[in-house]
Amino acid sequence: MDGTLTLRVDLDSGVPAYRQIVNELRILLVSGKLAPGSVLPSVRRMAVDLGVHFNTVAEAYRTLAEENWLDLRHGRGATVVKRDTPTTPTAELMQEFRHRLRTLVAEIRAEGASAATIRSELRELADEVKP
Amino acid sequence: MKVELLMSLYPLLLVAVFFQVMPLFTRRGIFFSATVDPEFPQSSEGRGLLRSYRWQMALWTVLVILLTLSNVPGHPSFGRSTAPLLLVVGAALSYWRKFREVHARYGVKAPEVRQASLSTAPAKENFNVWITLVPFLALAAVAMYLHMHWNDFPLRFLAHWGANGELHGWAGRDWRGVYGPLLFGAYLNVVLLAMAWIISHGSRKTVMRGVTVRGVQFMLYPVTLTSILAALWPLLNTPLWLGQGITLVSIVGLFYWSYRKISAAPAKDEVPEPRGDNYWKAGIFYWNPDDPAIFVSKRVGIGYTMNFANKWSWITMAAVLVALLIPGLLGGPG
Repeated sequence: MDGTLTLRVDLDSGVPAYRQIVNELRILLVSGKLAPGSVLPSVRRMAVDLGVHFNTVAEAYRTLAEENWLDLRHGRGATVVKRDTPTTPTAELMQEFRHRLRTLVAEIRAEGASAATIRSELRELADEVKP
Repeated sequence: MKVELLMSLYPLLLVAVFFQVMPLFTRRGIFFSATVDPEFPQSSEGRGLLRSYRWQMALWTVLVILLTLSNVPGHPSFGRSTAPLLLVVGAALSYWRKFREVHARYGVKAPEVRQASLSTAPAKENFNVWITLVPFLALAAVAMYLHMHWNDFPLRFLAHWGANGELHGWAGRDWRGVYGPLLFGAYLNVVLLAMAWIISHGSRKTVMRGVTVRGVQFMLYPVTLTSILAALWPLLNTPLWLGQGITLVSIVGLFYWSYRKISAAPAKDEVPEPRGDNYWKAGIFYWNPDDPAIFVSKRVGIGYTMNFANKWSWITMAAVLVALLIPGLLGGPG
């Protein structure tokens, strides 16, 4: 694992801290920056660094373990495991994704971004965050 | 009586000077423990606030000195304990008022963005085994020397030192009298190392942490030297003032070095501390129930303060206090 990887959490944001940890780690996992076999810092270490409660980090690790990204074994910390990526997402998941995307697109259009800019940004992100 | 008065005024003046310069020992963007624009302390308002605090401190100092002058002839203990305490309380009060003023009128809201390193490298990178080991090896070597010269020790010799450096007690030629100073030195070194270890594991990876842990390791050397000089004194009449002098110079030098390190422009914390002023009560006490860190970097001064909302901070401080009291309870080093 790259020793310089960092994780950022904005406590002023409306998104719960545990959800931000999950989202940030998932980006690193999907992009392969956190490769299978990598060991994440312990819940205690991560909680001290972020200045958040232990349960916040523990909940984030549990969520990622339920998504089959992490293996949580007592005494061994959180290890990234090789995950079989589904070939196609479920229809429900796609619907949820579309809904969230629509909200975001509306938000940025309201701030003046053009359709071309949004298309370009989405293409760039899709290329950037891929296994 | 004049000596008693001088002994009372000397620590008072030291405390007063310390509080005069204390607000300068801070990081960029922090002024009287409040988050401000980095340029604010140099502005006319910033300079005015500092001037006003210093005047208040000067008034407190004069008041406490007057109280000392009128009380010490009848109550010598007033100068030793009550007067410095009054000055500290006065300084804390003035500082708290300035913190509130700066926070309310000139404070800026820092974004509360936290950052964690995903590296699993252990926190022991600040410890150097050899630097840590040398003082213990030196103590062991001197212990062997004392063992070899056991019979050269007088049956009874002066061995207890007061706070003013005067000898005022006796020790015998037994393990406690001969090895006592070395054991005390080794014990102090262990306590210092334990504190450094707790800080390196119970705090975030900041510039302050590196400075503190290295500083504590460095302090093993003057402590060891002082212990060795004290242990050898009955045999070689070693200059005890040398140990005390080197310790004092080391502490002052360490403060200067630490200040240069933490205030240096490129100094950047790998894992920053929480930035909200709301976590700082009276600008001095850190209170954050959600933060599992035991220690956090001070906003003013050098070193660490505890997270008063964390029960483990209290337990740790109690353990350190007990550890420091144990030698006294066992009858001192010699």
